[in-house]
Amino acid sequence: MSHSTTGRRCPDVPHHAWYAAATTDEVGRTPLARRVLGTRLVLYRATDGRAVALEDRCSHRPVPLSSGRVAGDDIIAGYTGFRYAPDGSCVAVPTQEKVPFGAAVRAFPVHDDGSFVWVWTGDPRVARLRPPPTAPWLRDPAWASFGDTWETRASVRLLLDNFSDITHVAHVDPEIAPPALGAGPTPPLEVRVSETTMQFSRDYPPAPVADWQAALLGVPAESAHAHREEGEFVSPGLWVDRWHTTVSGQGAADGVHSFVFTHALTPVDETTTRHVWRVSRNFASSEAAEGTLRPLFDRYYRRVQQALETMQELVAEDGPRPEVSVAADAAATTVRRIMDRLVADETGVR
Amino acid sequence: MSQPTPTVVTEFEADVVVTGLTHPAEDVVELTLSAPDGRALPPWTPGAHIDLLLDSDLVRQYSLCSSPAEPTSYRVAVLRAPDGRGGSERVHALSEGARVRIRGPRNNFPLLASPRYLFIAGGIGITPMLPMIEEAQAAGADWHLHYGGRSRASMAYLADLEKYADRVTVVPQDEQGLLDVAGILGTPQPGTLIYCCGPEPLLAVVEEHSSQWPAGALHLERFAAKTVEREGEDASFELVLQRSGITVTVPPDKSVFDTMRDAGVSVLGSCLEGICGTCETGVLEGEVDHRDSVLDPDEQEAMDCMMVCVSRCQGDRLVLDA
Repeated sequence: MSHSTTGRRCPDVPHHAWYAAATTDEVGRTPLARRVLGTRLVLYRATDGRAVALEDRCSHRPVPLSSGRVAGDDIIAGYTGFRYAPDGSCVAVPTQEKVPFGAAVRAFPVHDDGSFVWVWTGDPRVARLRPPPTAPWLRDPAWASFGDTWETRASVRLLLDNFSDITHVAHVDPEIAPPALGAGPTPPLEVRVSETTMQFSRDYPPAPVADWQAALLGVPAESAHAHREEGEFVSPGLWVDRWHTTVSGQGAADGVHSFVFTHALTPVDETTTRHVWRVSRNFASSEAAEGTLRPLFDRYYRRVQQALETMQELVAEDGPRPEVSVAADAAATTVRRIMDRLVADETGVR
Repeated sequence: MSQPTPTVVTEFEADVVVTGLTHPAEDVVELTLSAPDGRALPPWTPGAHIDLLLDSDLVRQYSLCSSPAEPTSYRVAVLRAPDGRGGSERVHALSEGARVRIRGPRNNFPLLASPRYLFIAGGIGITPMLPMIEEAQAAGADWHLHYGGRSRASMAYLADLEKYADRVTVVPQDEQGLLDVAGILGTPQPGTLIYCCGPEPLLAVVEEHSSQWPAGALHLERFAAKTVEREGEDASFELVLQRSGITVTVPPDKSVFDTMRDAGVSVLGSCLEGICGTCETGVLEGEVDHRDSVLDPDEQEAMDCMMVCVSRCQGDRLVLDA
């Protein structure tokens, strides 16, 4: 357990946490280089298919292991030729028979759930005491999903603030904003907290749906339906939003039709966050429907990315300032408090 | 004074089922609690506790004594206290398959990273220590547990602790008398954190003997509210709720908590006697008159947060982040 904050990278982010270093399909027999919490990692699969994550720096010379190649279960660093096993120990060097004592690179606990390759960035000995987060709908045939991955030049804290309050949607992208958001006074925000999680929800009275959504739901454009908005801070590396539309009196279209928005957030460094987003739906599973939805959400999340990058630039240029909060910020302040608590626990500094 | 409440903050609540029941010691029942559909419950860290909502006006806090590695269940161990306030009798009446409502978890007793720990447990106060010990051991920390109780038969989890051998000192009162707190804490050890949970007399002795230790070294968890001595009558003061943009007066006979609720501002609450930490609220301005049993002296002196169910204001104006 680290108990010092000196030299700690990404100091305001919990390290004792699971972060999605990659999606499951990105990791294979070719070395994949990633940066997580300011540390270079190399990911690859051993011969039995299990994912391996090692620090991407040879113990002999400052060479990335990822510049080399995978051989059997091991990885051989480019340039030096030092060979490392999945546990990080050096098992062969080119110039002598015996491996130098203590030659090793740091190995990270890994959990591949079929969607994400989660990497534990804290003390590896404690990893087994903190189950990784899950997003089972991404592997459930009842849900159709699409999405993208990119890096946003903003701290993960700014991304979490953003997801804690989606009322800005109407300002960022009026077309995608559900008309329910602007139909009347914002319904009460319900925030539910536990030691390490925060969930919020809002129930909207029946309001018309956007034209694109009416077409996908198979309901008349002018028809009104009740909506429920949910957001959940699952862990520092996983945010999940949901949007449920309850259709009634429309015959075959009746039922609860839901979107689940999955956001795997991985701090690359203090001002860059890797953002994997997935939009899942349990209705209108056709490719044509995806053809309608994908450009809408792609544009929306791009605009969010731009807004957050602008905020990060402003803070970098002008310094942080105390912010005015409103009552609805209870969700954001709860998440900030949980993040601060987790950081305090692992640094030993409160 | 009523106006629409735009934001309602509550704690996670769930109906769970008793899926396991054992008696780890005399008069102690251990319950395993799981969601009826077997789904994961909110993750927690060592030192956390949950509320059992036994009746509309009977809410009790119990430390989680299982492992955070188990995502689908919580375990609590409850000592029957015949002269208590009725909570433990109700818990002991539960049988396997019974449903009970829980709230939380929350944690006022978090385990901060440290190279060395001294754990001091009295009786059923062993419960939060079990996950703490598991974590300290996993992290390779240097730790020692001093565990006192009336008799071996009354002390839960002695068999589970045997694997730690010399790291655990068991002191049954009928064999060896009380824990030698003066001896245990005699010499302050920089870099060592003290975690103590047990009955009030033990906490008082531990507080007394750790006064020479570095600030922030001592961490206590109380079962019952500390007695706070007050002089004179309570006074009224002005309360500004910054985020909500509301200013109200707190009369002498009303709590800050009730005043906030009546002003339509959502605030979490559970025990309402200053022990559970649920209603902790950020303080932006003003001198707090702390009356809780949660914050340690350093935290109280920092004046940056307060338990609004019991604490008040020393001056005539208090500004809260609410």
